[in-house]
Amino acid sequence: MLKSLITGILLLCTFVTFPQSPHPIKGIVLAAENHQPLAGATVSLGKSVVQTSTDAQGRFTIETTAAKNVLSVSFVGRETREIDTRTDTLTILLSLSNKMLDEVVAVAYTTVKRSGYPGAVSTVTADKINNRQTGDIGSSLQGLVAGLQTESANGQPGNASTLLIRGSGSINASSSPLFVVNGAPYDGDLNALNPADIASISVLKDATSANLYGSRAANGVILITTRSGKASTTATINATINQGWSNRAVRDYDQVNTDQYFQLYWQALKNKALTNGFTDAQASTIASQNVVSDLAINPYGTQYAEPVGADGKIVAGAHPLWDNNWADAVRQKGKFTQAQLNLSGGSEKSTYYVSGGYLDNQGVYIGSGFKRYNLRANLTLQAKSWLRAGLDVSGASTIQDYPPSSDSRTDNVVLFGRTIPSFYPIYEINPDGTYKLNSQGQKVLDYGDYRPQAALPLMNLVGTVPLDINRIKNENGSIRAFLEATLARGLVFKTSYNTDYINYNDQFYNNPSYGQATSIGGSVSESNTRTLSYTWNNILTWLHDFSKGHHLELLAGHEYYSFTYHQLGGNSQGFVLPGLYEPVASSIIEGFSGYADNYNKLSFFGQAQYNYLSRYYATASIRRDGSSRFAPDSRWGTFWSAGAGWRMASESFLRSVSWLNVLTLKASYGASGNDNLNTYYAYEGLYGIQNNLGNGGVITSRLPTPGLKWESNLNFNTGIDFGIFGNRVSGTLNYYIRTSKDLLYSKPLAASTGFPSVDANIGTLRNKGIELTLNAVPVNTGAFRWDIELNISHNKNEVTSLPQKEIISGTKKLMVGKSIYDFFIRKWAGVDPANGNPLWYVTDSAGKTSTTNVYAQGTQYYVGSSLPTVIGGITNTFRYKTIELSFLFSYSLGGKVLDQDYISMMTGGASPGRSFSKELLDSWTPQHTKTDVPRMTTDDLGWANTSNSSTRFLYSASYGRLKNLTLAWHLPLPATWKQNDYVRDIRVYLTGENLLTFYGHQGMDPEQSVNGTTYFQYPAVRTVSVGAQFSF
Amino acid sequence: MKKISYIICLALGLVSLAACNKQLNTVPTNAVSDDLLFQNVTNLSTLLQGTWSSMMDDFYGDVYSNPGYKTIGLVSDAMGNDVAVIPTKYGFKTTYTFTQMYDKTQYRINAFWGELYKIINNTNIIIAHVDKVDGDAAAKNALKGQALALRANTYLVLASFYQFSYQKDPQAKVVPIYTLPTSDTTVGHSRATLQQVYQLILSDLQQAVTLLQGYQRSAKWLIDQNVAQGLLARAYLNTGQWTQAAQAAVAARQGYPLMSPAEYKTGFNNIDNEEWIWGHPEIPTQNGGSYSFNFLDVTYNQGYYSFMADPHFMELFADGDVRKTLFYWDGDPGLEGYLAYGKIRFGSIPNQTGDLVLMRSSEAYLIEAEGDARANDLNDAVIALNALRDARTAPEYDPTGQTQQNLIDTILVERRKELWGEGFSLSDIIRLQKPVIRKPYTDGAGNPIQVTVTTPDGTTKQVPAKYHTAIRFPDGTPFVANSPYYLFAIPQSEEQNNPNLYK
Repeated sequence: MLKSLITGILLLCTFVTFPQSPHPIKGIVLAAENHQPLAGATVSLGKSVVQTSTDAQGRFTIETTAAKNVLSVSFVGRETREIDTRTDTLTILLSLSNKMLDEVVAVAYTTVKRSGYPGAVSTVTADKINNRQTGDIGSSLQGLVAGLQTESANGQPGNASTLLIRGSGSINASSSPLFVVNGAPYDGDLNALNPADIASISVLKDATSANLYGSRAANGVILITTRSGKASTTATINATINQGWSNRAVRDYDQVNTDQYFQLYWQALKNKALTNGFTDAQASTIASQNVVSDLAINPYGTQYAEPVGADGKIVAGAHPLWDNNWADAVRQKGKFTQAQLNLSGGSEKSTYYVSGGYLDNQGVYIGSGFKRYNLRANLTLQAKSWLRAGLDVSGASTIQDYPPSSDSRTDNVVLFGRTIPSFYPIYEINPDGTYKLNSQGQKVLDYGDYRPQAALPLMNLVGTVPLDINRIKNENGSIRAFLEATLARGLVFKTSYNTDYINYNDQFYNNPSYGQATSIGGSVSESNTRTLSYTWNNILTWLHDFSKGHHLELLAGHEYYSFTYHQLGGNSQGFVLPGLYEPVASSIIEGFSGYADNYNKLSFFGQAQYNYLSRYYATASIRRDGSSRFAPDSRWGTFWSAGAGWRMASESFLRSVSWLNVLTLKASYGASGNDNLNTYYAYEGLYGIQNNLGNGGVITSRLPTPGLKWESNLNFNTGIDFGIFGNRVSGTLNYYIRTSKDLLYSKPLAASTGFPSVDANIGTLRNKGIELTLNAVPVNTGAFRWDIELNISHNKNEVTSLPQKEIISGTKKLMVGKSIYDFFIRKWAGVDPANGNPLWYVTDSAGKTSTTNVYAQGTQYYVGSSLPTVIGGITNTFRYKTIELSFLFSYSLGGKVLDQDYISMMTGGASPGRSFSKELLDSWTPQHTKTDVPRMTTDDLGWANTSNSSTRFLYSASYGRLKNLTLAWHLPLPATWKQNDYVRDIRVYLTGENLLTFYGHQGMDPEQSVNGTTYFQYPAVRTVSVGAQFSF
Repeated sequence: MKKISYIICLALGLVSLAACNKQLNTVPTNAVSDDLLFQNVTNLSTLLQGTWSSMMDDFYGDVYSNPGYKTIGLVSDAMGNDVAVIPTKYGFKTTYTFTQMYDKTQYRINAFWGELYKIINNTNIIIAHVDKVDGDAAAKNALKGQALALRANTYLVLASFYQFSYQKDPQAKVVPIYTLPTSDTTVGHSRATLQQVYQLILSDLQQAVTLLQGYQRSAKWLIDQNVAQGLLARAYLNTGQWTQAAQAAVAARQGYPLMSPAEYKTGFNNIDNEEWIWGHPEIPTQNGGSYSFNFLDVTYNQGYYSFMADPHFMELFADGDVRKTLFYWDGDPGLEGYLAYGKIRFGSIPNQTGDLVLMRSSEAYLIEAEGDARANDLNDAVIALNALRDARTAPEYDPTGQTQQNLIDTILVERRKELWGEGFSLSDIIRLQKPVIRKPYTDGAGNPIQVTVTTPDGTTKQVPAKYHTAIRFPDGTPFVANSPYYLFAIPQSEEQNNPNLYK
């Protein structure tokens, strides 16, 4: 296939031309927009040395011997044109170049000029990400790139976002794009990168741009290029410092007050007593007798032993003696501090960029935060005329204080604050509402061993979080080194060795003095993980400009990738004395373990890029990968791509359309692969280690799957780049069809086989979508300029084949014609007005629909998708002289989210002691029968149970967020400062992250996981900062 | 120069190709492949160790309220007559109120099902390979006998909870049977009848008894002939084979005398107890199963503290019975008026350990007594019953003027009294086709009976006694015999992924 392609290209280059007698070609070069002559434009014959410049009238004359000629015409700030002509007199119109469409962008293993390139690439420039008030690069990309879905499901400082390019191309295998930093796959921690070091980010979305990465390109590629020095007489020094403050971006769920709580719980107890067969009067008495003893507290004081009367109302005169807000108590105003310093410069022989960075991002919940220290040096050296060398070294040390902040565990700091109602005191309290004081006269934290289970007895994170340690320390080292030899004109051999190293250290310590671990004398668990990956690649490129306007670039390469992972850890308990927290000071070893994994990949690849007259473009690539994840017989996969582009605006029939500056059509198609199925050994039958009482033991862990093979991804893209009205309006429109075949999937098995699932290649999945990026300059008066950058994308996901009729897994069901994002859950039918029971729909085998009050009997239906209909962002930038105001608004419209967090606030009487949502005030009573909230009772009626999902808790996922707003001012500086090179620029700014959120369901942060279910996550954070940037 | 570069790069390419290709074969460090496991009987026996460890000490479904195999017993007791679960506590409230185990979508339903069948598949692997691997015959017999008995025990659990009593309808379909290892092409089996399941159980156990002849176990968690006989006794009792049940029970308790009254008060946490025929020792590094004490041990107020006794249960004991001395009215804040039964307690709180009992000779005496009584061998039944009563310093049963039915009823009450907290409540209710009985503990006027408690500061006060909070089914109907609320549901995920289940 590659061979025939190359032959074809070579054939194209062999047009036979006959020599003619020398004769002149005359012409005039004019500006396209106003037909004014351009003086000083360079005109050359083909790519030869024969060249001339235009005169003041824009005229030129050039000698040739051929009948058919190719002229190349260039002018600073304008597009270069190549003209294929047989005539001897010419009028050549040069358009202003479009910054966006003409830039040079990084793609797989090389760089290309965007104009005419058939691939779909989005780029994000440094100014969009350098000074954002988040440590997370993924989060700062949200709303900036068409087709990139960012979900910051956990807003804990130091956590990374989930990124999806053009939807999820896989179900169980990884959907995460490949990250490439300075030319090599990056296995380091994304949060260890300093955003200030980033020069640009390219998002490769289609086969042409990405597929040279072969099996790693299936989910798209995010290429990060860090800054480098430029040749200059003196060094450039930049320093930035800023200080910000954070809180929650959205308010947490509303709760009932103490009176309402006690009355509701009384109602629950009464209704349960009625279920138990007691009379109404008996039931009321039982309820009044048990409210206080069940909740194990009486905030109304001892004189009101039964604060809720037999009428279900708080008795006259009783009022709560205290009211403590736990959610506020576990929150803090987080500080955000960032400082950057970098130094760059160079000569013709060498360049350097050296930087250091510091970030202290405190969380909005106590005990959470993220610190980062960065160092980087990027060096290049022209060692010989034919040899260039480069070395990028970066190191980062991060410390994340990570009190549990996701999932349903009781020490989840976010959930904890929301769970305990305000009538449980934070500090020990006397029955009369006064605080108990210790011998020093201080308040004493209340660990509440009396509290019911749902109010988290023996816990008070206000007291324990400061004493406990939940710390993840990470040292990242990254090296990118290359040698590049120019073997002949246009022939370059480059070898590069790239390595990423992470030393990951975590420590989870529970103090022996207070809280959960007191009975075991405190506990500590520590682990250390070392990951080392390296990529070695050797690439030969040949670049040649043939005469007559043919340009060819060939690339051939080899790559070897190796990843090793080694983990070691232990846990122990029983500390000798309080204040000690390392395992050495504990007396009982609970466990010690460690293991290692190896993963290797070997690849060979080649690519050809061709263009004629910078007008007709064609590319093709091929790659073969072997992965150690698969059995020897199925481990090799072949991946390829082909693409074509046509710059129509350069054609003569469109040259006369004065308002049209750019019009380029492009299309590409290719196949890439995915081997990332959560296991490194995807073929063997395995037995996991399960020791028993000091004897070695094993137990089944994986069924053998010798036939398991690559998941492949077929990616078709077609698009159009355009620029109109002097490029005041420009943009890109892309349409794609991404088909994933042989999906790697943990197929659920009947659990009675002894295995919950088996890894299998199942079916086909298709993502179809459309993306629009639009840039416009509505106003540009010189002093004032308004820029708009807008992107919008739509993706549709559909299962197109399956080996069986359906596969049900969790809240989703796979079926042909449906999306992997479609919820398949029970449908809420409201509350039975007769008795207050919850109802769900049931459809029997005859297709007749009725309702049931037993959750388990309800039928599961397709009830909508978690996939948004459109996502995108709008950036507006206003510049007036030295003042700049810009804001980024990101949005996600359509789709649904299943709010499981909220369910835990709706359990009502079934979980006495847990906070109640305000919505429970609307619960059914014999007098209030028209409602969506069932009767209160201590029984689990099956509707408010996190494992029982139904449409009752399915909410619209649409939201809009003012992600970033920045107001900046360049200070007027004395001219002598600049001349003497003291200070070149001082920029002061005010900036905010997540300032406003527009969404529908109170309390739920709308940024949740891609699959549309919530899981008690740390919410998004709003940060407001002031900062200053100095250039010397 | 250029030529050399070409050669270098070609050479590099070839060398790397050859070297790297080999690197594509990697092996895990935390797992082994089957060929290694099936080399000899020593290697194969690691599978029994792992299966046992997983069964006893894994948190089923990864939640703390499912601390290993003992959870099934906790569920059985929470759904019976004599445990009044505190409704504000963790783990067993919905079990106790009958809103959990009949619901096929519940996490605990999934967890039990998956874990029990995982044990079955692992024992199937041992049984399928043990005769083919290298090793001496005695070791192979011991391994095979244990695998068969463990498989039988697992099917016995399934048969006890997933369908009504065998004595109600042996043809009722219960759960699928698998006797061969699962492969990636295995499709789920359909449910077998109770009769088919018990046929397999009895045949496995009878084989095990033969294979374990002469086997001297090195630890009490291992299954020897006594344990296999005890399991046989349970299976015979469930299927109404009274004489065989009594005989097997006698065989099971040989060498395991009843414990002394003093020992009865030590907390049921020590495997060295002479009465324990089968149990599982717990160590600090493997103490998942000990987590069950957090629920059962209500003398330890840092645990989940929820398995209280029904006041009516205390009234079943005669004064002087050592077992009665373990009751007291709770005076801790938030728990005032609950009846605590201090029978089962942690062994070591700093280590969070307590050994787990699986079979005691007192159960064998009770099976013997019930078997004899039902087989109309009343004398032997009374002897067995009174042997137990004597050991517990309880008044002897006087058969004078009593009917066979009275004797059987007395034995069944004795089972409740002796085996409280050990997991026999619901399985007996199902087996005996009886309703759950839970009554308010109130005076004639319907007010709770006042009891005296001692608060932590030493003062005493009168508080209303706490009693059962779920005295009817959640739909408001009274408890009845053979109610579907008593049965464990087959999980929804099994229904969805096993096309043959209901065929």
